[in-house]
Amino acid sequence: MRSRMFKKLALVAGVVAMAAGCSSYSRTDKAQTQISFGSSVARKGLWREAAFRFERAVQQEPNNARAHNNLAVALEAEGEFARALAEYKRALELDSGDSYIRRNYARFAEFYTSYTRTTGKASGGP
Amino acid sequence: MALRSASRRAGALVLLALLAALPVSAGVAQVKLKLPLKPRLPLRGNEKIALAPFVIATEAEKARDKRLQNVDLQAEFQRFLKKQIEKKTKLEIVELPTDLKLPTQNLSELGRSTEFWRALGTQTGAEIVVSGSLEFRVEDRSGYKTEEYVSPIDGRTYYRQVYVEQTGFLFDIVFLVFDGRSGEKILQDEFKDFRQTGGRRADELQGLFENLFSLENQILNLFVARDRDAERYIFTD
Repeated sequence: MRSRMFKKLALVAGVVAMAAGCSSYSRTDKAQTQISFGSSVARKGLWREAAFRFERAVQQEPNNARAHNNLAVALEAEGEFARALAEYKRALELDSGDSYIRRNYARFAEFYTSYTRTTGKASGGP
Repeated sequence: MALRSASRRAGALVLLALLAALPVSAGVAQVKLKLPLKPRLPLRGNEKIALAPFVIATEAEKARDKRLQNVDLQAEFQRFLKKQIEKKTKLEIVELPTDLKLPTQNLSELGRSTEFWRALGTQTGAEIVVSGSLEFRVEDRSGYKTEEYVSPIDGRTYYRQVYVEQTGFLFDIVFLVFDGRSGEKILQDEFKDFRQTGGRRADELQGLFENLFSLENQILNLFVARDRDAERYIFTD
């Protein structure tokens, strides 16, 4: 009796876990869905698609620091450095305490300073 | 007994299911980027390029420093630059007269010698001409350094002075790039590198090439697009 109950409980937990995993891709109107999908394609090196997803996430949730951070990284990978800078700054404005965003920004700033020093201009600017 | 084992199995299943759900909310992933760097010079990519001599900034010290006498900096650098351009760009290198002399050994004046560069461009058909200055120094960096020492007797940490023999190689290059048709300077840039190796009698040529290879990407980025490796964090949810 007790064993059957545990089995049922396990089944229910499994279904809930699977549903949680699947639901992240099924609701495209949520910023979290776009971030989740964008990050999975980013890890495969598909940065243009990732940038598109993160851009959608930013549109859906303009105050989501994580979305701005991810968009900045994707823009960097695409060589749009001036836009990446603006996104990093926005991400920091929204969540200045996040250590990952701060670290990304510090590394980017180091690169971008030397890049603009040598080229004399910002790349990928509007 | 059977009941207990079944409940354990069920518990494990619940745990597994929860673990499967974990990555969805794990949060952060480190990603590797290749940052695309546009070429510094606005080129089509197949221009005719002439590699003029460079001013050797350490020429006067050569008589005093025996280690500099072993290195023909002009020849080694020209050979390196020619090889890199041939291998990694589509630029066409045009030969210059072997007896070509620079109009001045002063870098600022060299940058203003518009007439000279225009004449050279017309004479050789080069659309761009590269020159500049080179500085290579070998420095004895040997000396006493403080190091930590844990005593095997009492296990305490002490500091002691040890003599370390080291050689430093400093390389400084200023690029001047001229338009072969107008003779105008279109770019000036400087790259520096410092390497330090163990031993007082480290080989000069080896040091020079270590400097050059570390600057290779930056030098080539003058003419062609290059990549730079970087690591960043992205949020996964």
